[in-house]
This record gives sequence, C-alpha cells and structure tokens, in this order.
Amino acid sequence: MWRTWFGTGHSGSARPRSELRVGIPRTLNVWSTHQFWVAFFAALGLQPSRIVFSSNTSEEQGRNFGRGRGTVDCCYPVKCMSGHYGELVFGQKRKVDILFSPMIRSLPSLLSGHVVDLLSCPRVMAGPESTKAGFIREKDAFAEQSIRYVAPLVCLAEPVLVPRQLHESLADVIPGLTYRETRAAVDAGFAALEDFSNAARAQSRDILRQCARKNDPCILVLARPYHMDPGIGHEIEVDLQACGYPVLWTQYLPTDADVMDWLFGEDIRSGDISSPFDISDVWPSSYSSNTNEIIWGAKVGSRIPWVTCVIRLASYECGMDQPTFSPVQKIVESSGTLFFSFQDLDCTKPAGALKIRVETIRHYVGQHGKRIITRKLAGLGKPCPFTV
Amino acid sequence: MSQVRPIGYKAYSPRPFLKKDREKVEILFGGLSWRAENVLQALFENLGYLARPLPPPTREDLMLGRELADIGQCCPTSFTAGNLANFLRTETDRIGPDAVVENYVYLTAGACGACRFGQYRQSYELALRGLGLDSFRMFLLAQDELDQGEIAGGGIEMNMPLTIGALWAVLCTDVLQSLEYQTRPYEVTKGQTDKVVRESVDFLCDKFRKRPYRGKKLGVLVWHLTTNYFVDALREVFDRFKAIEVDRLQAKPVVKITGEFYIQTVEGAPSYDIHAWLENEGSEVYPAAVATWFDYLFRIRAQAIAEYVGIKPRARIELARIKGLHYLYGWAYNRLRAALRNIPHEMPSQSELRRLAAPYYHHRLQGGEGDMLIGKALWAHLRNKAHMICELSPYGCLPNTMSVGAMAGVLGDHPDLLYAPLEVKGDAEVHALSRCQMVLTEAKKRAKSEFEAALEQSGLTLEMARERLDAMPEMKKATYHVPGHGWVGIGANLVTELARESGR
Ligand code: SF4
Ligand code: SF4
Repeated sequence: MWRTWFGTGHSGSARPRSELRVGIPRTLNVWSTHQFWVAFFAALGLQPSRIVFSSNTSEEQGRNFGRGRGTVDCCYPVKCMSGHYGELVFGQKRKVDILFSPMIRSLPSLLSGHVVDLLSCPRVMAGPESTKAGFIREKDAFAEQSIRYVAPLVCLAEPVLVPRQLHESLADVIPGLTYRETRAAVDAGFAALEDFSNAARAQSRDILRQCARKNDPCILVLARPYHMDPGIGHEIEVDLQACGYPVLWTQYLPTDADVMDWLFGEDIRSGDISSPFDISDVWPSSYSSNTNEIIWGAKVGSRIPWVTCVIRLASYECGMDQPTFSPVQKIVESSGTLFFSFQDLDCTKPAGALKIRVETIRHYVGQHGKRIITRKLAGLGKPCPFTV
Repeated sequence: MSQVRPIGYKAYSPRPFLKKDREKVEILFGGLSWRAENVLQALFENLGYLARPLPPPTREDLMLGRELADIGQCCPTSFTAGNLANFLRTETDRIGPDAVVENYVYLTAGACGACRFGQYRQSYELALRGLGLDSFRMFLLAQDELDQGEIAGGGIEMNMPLTIGALWAVLCTDVLQSLEYQTRPYEVTKGQTDKVVRESVDFLCDKFRKRPYRGKKLGVLVWHLTTNYFVDALREVFDRFKAIEVDRLQAKPVVKITGEFYIQTVEGAPSYDIHAWLENEGSEVYPAAVATWFDYLFRIRAQAIAEYVGIKPRARIELARIKGLHYLYGWAYNRLRAALRNIPHEMPSQSELRRLAAPYYHHRLQGGEGDMLIGKALWAHLRNKAHMICELSPYGCLPNTMSVGAMAGVLGDHPDLLYAPLEVKGDAEVHALSRCQMVLTEAKKRAKSEFEAALEQSGLTLEMARERLDAMPEMKKATYHVPGHGWVGIGANLVTELARESGR
C-alpha cells in the first residue's frame, strides 16, 4: 500500500494522478482504439492534456529516436515502433512518467459475433515486446529516464476481461487504483470508442448521401487502421481526395440496418450468408480482426454504387495481407468496381510513382465513374436508403 | 425488384468425400517427421482408410509453392503448398487430372490461429487453382479438438480413435527420435543407428496397424492411457538399440533446436538439413519434440479459461478439467519415455517455460510458438540442457520475428547464452549455416572445456577414463542411461559417472 501510494523511486508512482503524464506510441491498433485509451485514462482522473501520443510516423522520427534500437526486420508498421518509443522516452520537452504501450490481443469489431475470431495480427500483439527489447538490451532506458514502462495485454474483443487486465498492470503505477474504478473507466473507454465509431459511420453515410444526391463517385480505402498514419499509408487517400473524390475507410462504413438490408438482404434471404456481417462465403478463415474487416469492406465496396473505385493499401513484408490480395480484388471487381492496389508501402514515400498512379486513378474514375454507378445501382433493389 | 448480386468470388469449398468412397480414395497428408508420418499411415490403415504421406519436401517444392501461391508468404506455407502441388502435378502427368481429383484428398491441420497457419486454406487454394485442379478436395482440421465428428461429407471421421491414435503415434515417435539423436553422434559403427531406427519405425507401424478396437469414445482414451500395448512396443524398440555400441567419451556440444513448428519438426530441406549438418559438424542435436507443441496447446487452453475464473460461472471447473487432461498427457508421455529407460529428453514444464519467458514475452501472445521460443531458450541454457540454441525462424513468419526481437532483451540479461537464430528462406543456406557455424565454434569450445573440467574434477585422464569404460561394456551400449552430474554434455557426465562407478 505504502509503495502504491508513495512510489519506489519511479516517478510514475510518486505523483498524484492529475499530474501524471502518460505517453502512448501512436502505432498499430492504437489507431483504431485511441478514443478508448484517452477516455479510460481521463475517467481515472488523468488530465487529457497529459496523455501524449507520439507523432505520426516519419523517417526522421526513426532516425532521431529509433536508431540502433531495432531488434527485428519485418513490416514497417512494427519496425517504426522504435522511433515512437524513442520519441516518448527521449524526445519530450516535459517528460512522460509512464510509457503505455498496450499489447492488443484482440479487437472490438463491427463483425463481432459473425466471424470465427477477432485476433490481432501476431506482430500487432507482440510489437511492444520486441520493441521494448531494443530499449533494455544494453541498459534499461526506461529506468534511466525514470519512466515506468507498462505494456498490458488486453483482449478488447472480450470486454469482461479488460478491467482485470488493466487493473493488474496499472495498480502499481497509478496511485490508489481500485478494480472498481478501473472497471468504470473501461466502460467509459468502450462508450467513447463506440460514440466515435458511430459518429464516423454517420459521417460516411452522409458522404454517401451526398454522392447519391449528385450521382457522384467516391473512393473506398481497404487497409489496416494504421495506414491512416501518413508515414505508413503515405497519404495516398489524401492525394485522391484532393482530386475531388470523397474517401471512405472500411472501418467506418455505415452499418445501419436499412443500408445492410439494401446491400445484403437478397443474399441473406437466399441463404448464402446468415447476416450482412457474415463473410464465410468468401473468407472462412476469419480469425484476424483487421483482415476480416478488409474482406467485409471489399464486399460492401463492391455493392455500394457510388463506390466506383476501391484502393487497397498494404505494407511491404506484411504476412497477413498477402493471402487476401486475390480474394479482395476478385470480390471488388466482380461488380465492375475499379480496383487499385498499393501493396509494398514501406518507410519511404515513392512520391513520383504515387503521383502517376493517383493520376491514373483520377483518370479512370473520371472516365468510368458515372457508368459504374448506373450499373451498380441497377443491380440493387429499391428504395435506396441514401436517397429516401 | 430483385438484386443482381456480385458473386464473382466464392471461397473454396470442397466437394464431399463420402464414406462409400473410402476404399478407393487415398488420403494424403504431411508436415511431420518421416517417423511420425509412417506411423500415422499405419494408423489410418488400422481405421480402414487408404492413406499416404507426401514425399519429403524439397527445395523444388518451395519454389513451386512460391510460384503458385504467393511469393511473400512464410516459407512453411510455400513448402507445404508446393509439396502438395508437386505431388499432384506428377500424378496428373501419370494418371490425368480427372483421376487425381477423384483418387486423392488432402488432409491437414491449419484451421486455427492468428498467423498464416490460420490462412493456409488460401495458399493451398491458389496452388490448386494454379494447377488447374480447382475441384481437388482438401480438408483442414482444427488441431486442438479431439472429437470433430465426421468431416468432409463422412469420408473421414475425426473421432477419438483417430485423434488419440495420432497423438500416441506422435508421442511414440518423439521418444524414439530423442533416443536416436542421443545415439547416432556416438555410434561406433556408422549407419547402425539409422538402420535400427528404420526397423523400429517399421515395427511401430506394425503395432499401430494392428491396434485393437476399443470403441469410439472415452473408452479409447482410457485404453491408450492404461494399456501396456505401446509401452511394450517401445521396450522392444529399446532392445533393438541394445545392439548399438557407442563411444560417449567425447566432448560434443549439445545444440537445442527451437523455432517455428514446421521448420523445426521436419528434418530435411525445409530446415536446410540442419539436423544432419549439425551432427556432421560434431554436435549432438537436441531435437524439438512435437509432444511439446501439444503440451503448449493444453497450456493455451488453460490460460484462456483461467482469465475467466471469477468472471464466468463454470470457468473454474473447466480449468480443472483441462489441467487434469494436461496432467494425464504429461503422464502418458513419461510412461512412454520410461519404456526407453528415460533416455529420451523430458518435456519442459509449461509453467516453467512461461515463468522464464515472462519478463520478455507475454504468455498470451498468440501465434507460432508464442512465449515458448524464449522459454525454451532460457530453460535449455539455465538448466544445463544445451550448450547452444539454434532457432529456426522461417522467412516471412509473423510471430517468430517478434520473439526473435524479444530475444535481444534476453541476451542483454544473459550474454553467455549461445544463440543462433537462423532465418530459413529455403534458398540462402550458405549464409544461414555459416552464421550457425560461428556460434557452434563457441559451443564446441564450451563443450571441450567442460569435458576437461569433468576430467580434472574426477582426477582422471582421458586414457584412464577410457580404460574404465572398456571395463564396463554395459556403459558402451546405446541403452545405457548416463546419469546427469550437472554437466551439459553427455561425455562430461560420463566421465564423472566413471569416476564414481570405480570409486564404489
Ligand atoms: S498485419 Fe501486416 S503490416 Fe500489420 S503488423 Fe501484421 S504483418 Fe505487419
Ligand atoms: S508460425 Fe510463422 S511460419 Fe508458421 S504458419 Fe505461422 S506465420 Fe507461417
């Protein structure tokens, strides 16, 4: 008790909660769960302004803070973590007390209950462990900087487990933390995450409504959440948006019942699938949460009329994405939707090549967009939920 | 208005394999050591199936797997998909595609997990499509369920007689393999161990082929646990090993193999023939037992349930049930091991592996061997089981890269741990082996100085030790169990034992 309240040399446990600074690496599935973490810590009494995320990934960040700390050679979304850790450990004007890097074993998903499992990629789960190794192998860089390193394993797809998992890892770090308040904070986290997702979905629906009204095309991005990081996804979707096409992300597609029925009702009634979120007809090995959502997004994208083009982003050396390339392309193209794939994204933005490809996409969408919309619309029943 | 649905893509779904076709359709399988595969074939025959293991995987399989599926996939996927594809292609040339899709089905594990293992289906599917054999039937099994009932349309019954039998086939061949690897490096007559092992495998096949029928449910499990049928069979194997004369008075480094399941299990091209290479280089290989993988599966299940204790009403009871089964499993392994006078290596305790790995790798990080890679390396090092760890890490493996990364922290804390992580790509052998060679040189030095220390401590010279050994012919048999005296190498332990024996 004494230790919990007054700390044992690490500043993380010596300061009152409201003064604690928590650093969170802005990596991997933190991109799809950060609302959870902010609301969770805020509910525990930490100041939201003291919850610090590392910057977006950049080569400079890696050079300045991650050099010599890497322990693995693999996909860039994991490799770049050393730079994020380094920035939080060495690069803060006001030091963080806690470096909080959750090992997210499973993910909340809109497909929950309709797929075999909701696991993260093994590298997403274990990225913190291999990154940590680079900061302790010679000497403990966290201890040297008086930073408490906390990397709880969390099963976000199994909410009942989360309070215990977080309480066990934080009880020693956040003064006086009780299980009961952890549980309440977890509830607050999930509620914030849901609110955010709902708002984002509503926004997507709005975009589609506008597209429907004007009969305009839009573009859907099929990617993992961390491809939203400009250093990982290289802002390809931003360049496309600059061409005048609204962009939707798989993770935030609308899921309202009327839309789902419009798109999948016939398949359900014919017995091909059991629900709009059932992907077993195209992807029976539905263990991986992010992968499942990409596959589902491909199905949705192939049906929504105004999605005239789907772009696929994948990182170089990604072992999870490779088996999905061919099914995703086939699903999307089965409705005549344009499909473009950027499969080898790495640390450096191949600006020249991307420019040419963006131009190509712009050209094709401009040329064929309206025709694709008409054809896809003709295949769907009435009434259209985006025009009523 | 009815919808025009985009149905351009449907996941592969095999035609049924019906019970009535069992006599004319051959089940293909693979992915294990040749010993286990042979015995499994006999088990299939015992249950009335036609079955055969695929030929040993080759580098050509790897290339074909990459060509037909996708180039960036992990190399076990390429090897296994290519292995199947190569066989089917040869058979297509011989009997034509129609006969191939009618005459064979492929059965494999793969329906589970976070990593590529859970996506094998897609790679096989691509390979089959690439061969123009879209209608070939393959069936994937969950690896952690004992009774999956009829699958494939009734042609295969994944029931207790098959799964428990397969488990015992693995356990029996595991202990045999362990005895083999502790014998061959020291055999006096070159080739004798291999000959005895082949005979032993044939003998075990015969026993599995003739395994008595004990029903389809719990009775099968009880019988396997209590019968002396397999224990007696292994005793006969042990008797065959008695004929092998060994010279263990040598300083050989013990090299523990760890790594990804497939690469560490399949001796041959997928692992650059590392087992044979290490033996040729003068080491004793401590092979990876498949039994440990099943042991881990029990732990995974127990860990998942343990999280629900206090949250879900029946979790505690379920946990007790799994722990009970886990205990029985360990007991069954030890019984078979005892039939070979406990010479085969013991299974490391899963709780110890977990505890050792905990500061570096969380026990619930799933995929591949999880925390076992780190746990095993530390266990072998701290418990004096091996001079060096050779970790076989497949190119493109998702979880292995992470544990190799985490090993950096382990090496920071244990700089004396000799660790050779080899990335296995299938086509970068020279680089991998030369890397291994460097660490092995250090391991050899350790084995040598340990051997010399044992001589010095026991007050013997090598000549004196040899003289004493010559006077005790029992100790020159492969079946003599050299007691451990705290040294890693069997040679050093033998020296201490010789000193003790003659002091008695
Ligand atoms: S999903 Fe792909 S890119 Fe993401 S961590 Fe896993 S291997 Fe890397
Ligand atoms: S453990 Fe690694 S090598 Fe094995 S199937 Fe999974 S990703 Fe592939």
